[in-house]
Amino acid sequence: MDSIIKVDDFSFRYRDAKRCAVRHLDFEVPEGGFLCVVGPNGSGKSTLCNALVGLVPHHFNGKGRGSVRVLGQKVADQTIAQISCNVGFVFQNPFNQLSYTAGTVAEELAYGLGNHGVPRDEMVRRIEQIAGPLHLEGLLDRNPLELSGGQIQRVALGSTLIMNPRVLVLDECTTQLDPLGSEEIFDIVKKLNEDGMTVVMVDHDMERVARCADHVLALSRGNQVAFGTPEEVFGDPALEEHGVDIPDYVRISRTLEDEGLASGPVTLTEGACAERVGKALGR
Amino acid sequence: MSQRPVADDTARDAWLVALNPTAKVASVLVLGLASIVFPSPILGALIVVALFALAAAMGYFRPFAKLMIGFGIPVTLMLLLIQGCYSPQNVTVIADLGFARLGLEGTLYALSTVVTLLTFLGGFYLMNRTTYTGELVADLTERGLPPKAGYLVLASLNVVPQMKRRMATIQEAQVARGLDMGGDIISRVRATVPLLGPVVMSSLADAEERSMMLETHGFHLNERAHTSYVVVRHATADKPLVIASAVVLVLSVAARIASVAGVLPL
Amino acid sequence: MKIEIKDLVHEYLPGMRALDGVNLTLDGTAPVAIIGQNGAGKTTLVKHFDGILRPTSGQVLLDGHDINERSCAQWSAHVGYVFQNPDNQLFLESVRHELEFGPRQLGVSEAAIAKRVERVAKLVGLSRKLDVNPADLTPAEKKFCAIGSVLTMKPEVVIFDEPTCGQDLAGNARLERIIRALRKSGRLCITISHDVKFVCKCFERVVVMCHGRVLVEGSVEEVFSQPELLKQSYVIPAPVTRVASAAGMNKVVFDVDSLIEGVKAERSS
Repeated sequence: MDSIIKVDDFSFRYRDAKRCAVRHLDFEVPEGGFLCVVGPNGSGKSTLCNALVGLVPHHFNGKGRGSVRVLGQKVADQTIAQISCNVGFVFQNPFNQLSYTAGTVAEELAYGLGNHGVPRDEMVRRIEQIAGPLHLEGLLDRNPLELSGGQIQRVALGSTLIMNPRVLVLDECTTQLDPLGSEEIFDIVKKLNEDGMTVVMVDHDMERVARCADHVLALSRGNQVAFGTPEEVFGDPALEEHGVDIPDYVRISRTLEDEGLASGPVTLTEGACAERVGKALGR
Repeated sequence: MSQRPVADDTARDAWLVALNPTAKVASVLVLGLASIVFPSPILGALIVVALFALAAAMGYFRPFAKLMIGFGIPVTLMLLLIQGCYSPQNVTVIADLGFARLGLEGTLYALSTVVTLLTFLGGFYLMNRTTYTGELVADLTERGLPPKAGYLVLASLNVVPQMKRRMATIQEAQVARGLDMGGDIISRVRATVPLLGPVVMSSLADAEERSMMLETHGFHLNERAHTSYVVVRHATADKPLVIASAVVLVLSVAARIASVAGVLPL
Repeated sequence: MKIEIKDLVHEYLPGMRALDGVNLTLDGTAPVAIIGQNGAGKTTLVKHFDGILRPTSGQVLLDGHDINERSCAQWSAHVGYVFQNPDNQLFLESVRHELEFGPRQLGVSEAAIAKRVERVAKLVGLSRKLDVNPADLTPAEKKFCAIGSVLTMKPEVVIFDEPTCGQDLAGNARLERIIRALRKSGRLCITISHDVKFVCKCFERVVVMCHGRVLVEGSVEEVFSQPELLKQSYVIPAPVTRVASAAGMNKVVFDVDSLIEGVKAERSS
């Protein structure tokens, strides 16, 4: 399968900014892939997300070079509304992702469909379809403003998924949730990915990144410092020098190796890591 | 206003809820207009009485009466004092209050203003109680209101509770920094100044993100007609209601013309 | 400062108990982390420590004084509170003014204020941004500005609400330094956090809240050696802790270094 996302030597500088927010990004994501974007604050992660959904350059003005293609089409050549049919976007603050026009969760979910002129019968059908996987069945008649942050974030995810996008872009969408709320969102995303949805996720939880991503893109000060499988990216000892956090599982296996206690490739999951520690203990 | 009325067919006001929202708004406006046009306060008074009866039949007489009387009495007294006693149109004296004389013309003017205000107030109260704003906006959008105008109405209504919550948090944050919110009025007003910065700043940040949300949900799509999940209700009584209101208005206009022409002694 | 909480109940609406009988004593300078699910009552609890909220019933004593004796503004000289969202807190035109605001309210001399501002700005990493408008800071810097604006008041107790939210590796390291500096200067730091890694690294005492009550409290070791109990409040031990326990290590560990030490110790025995 061809790449669903193709970023080709892409650089972007916001208007009035002194330096480029991202520089020479160059990578591809295959259809059905799970890309995690990692890096310290200000490394360009959000700019990249905005570029994938067209907010850069259509909403945030500035100067760009290179290209971002989704489904073979240049993002710069389409409108945000057109792109949003293919690319769903969920960001950090749950409260700012409500339309503020809906008295019930069902209306909120249908909001984007209404803007696209989808008839009501079709809305009802699609709401029924997504309410189950998002655990929203019991909430459809509730006022969205009275829900918890985690619930609102599921509604936000739903109002995006209802457009049947092929790509889902998540910009730190669990940062403001508690562990249970973020795990719930995350399980849903994982399931969507297993069913074929391409996911691009910015996340600070490195253990989660290692567990789920099939590709990792590490950014630092706008530069692409690493791109590859989690093994390749986190296996590179130079990564931390760029201020990029790494999973503790990697840290443990690497230290065990350095101390001569147990050797092998870096471990990415709790199980593999525990096994390595067991090996070091001589069990 | 944005509260969704529970769809309960057995409720006493079920038939009023089932009416088309635009028909309700139109009737209230037309009847209010009729009350203005009609050359005496009698029509307005009749409408107000009818509204009271309707409210009683719907089961919300108490809150309705509280609103109407709470608003009506002070306004009536104020207008009677201003217009009834001091209107330059006053010719016929109907009572001597000692400090001033009550004139017939001013009194009639005051009364017709009061009943008109009460017609609008009571009408909109009943409309509001039985109409879900989302449905009204969906209906108006179907009838050609630009979706952006509809958005403005709904969003401004829904953002208010959110803003209130935010204000409370900001106030807490400032008090926790040693800002004293107690004391006399001047110090309290001075104490609100530090609240304004964060309110504006955080509202701006929110607005930016919200506009991103709207754009990625196709808000700016204009080529296709927008649709809504909200079911707009239509009832058989819609048309008769609007027609009846219109007839009242037409009759009022006729009465007005007749009165001006001197045919009708009103 | 000693904070004593006795049978504390708080109801936002009659009958809706956000806190349902909390008993807790916080004393000394060992930093305290309060963890637990959203809605468990963490924020409601700490808002009683500086009088933002008042008990519906029960008692909160600060060094023996009932919280109701003074207003929140008066307590702010003793208890500093850093809110989760710095946008709610910052309102002045420069970082310097933000840092000066608190101590000026308290009537501290200008010379002393200047000294405090310099020291705190260095600690929170904003020495070179003192004349910048807080609106132009990055979200992470805003957070440090909000922390600095509380630290210049030199409160005996400092409360942080989710300080790691939105911070990266460097930001977390700075927070760690701030918490250590507070301890060194004899202040009690109380932090609400979901970030178990951060809690295990920087805190000595942990209070786990669940449904408006204290589920368990004690040293980090005591609390995180009871994973089954923690599940009730959806608290999951840090990755390192889980790995060590899955590998069958005897010791409860919280960071990579102590895990390696533990491995070495168990190998040699």
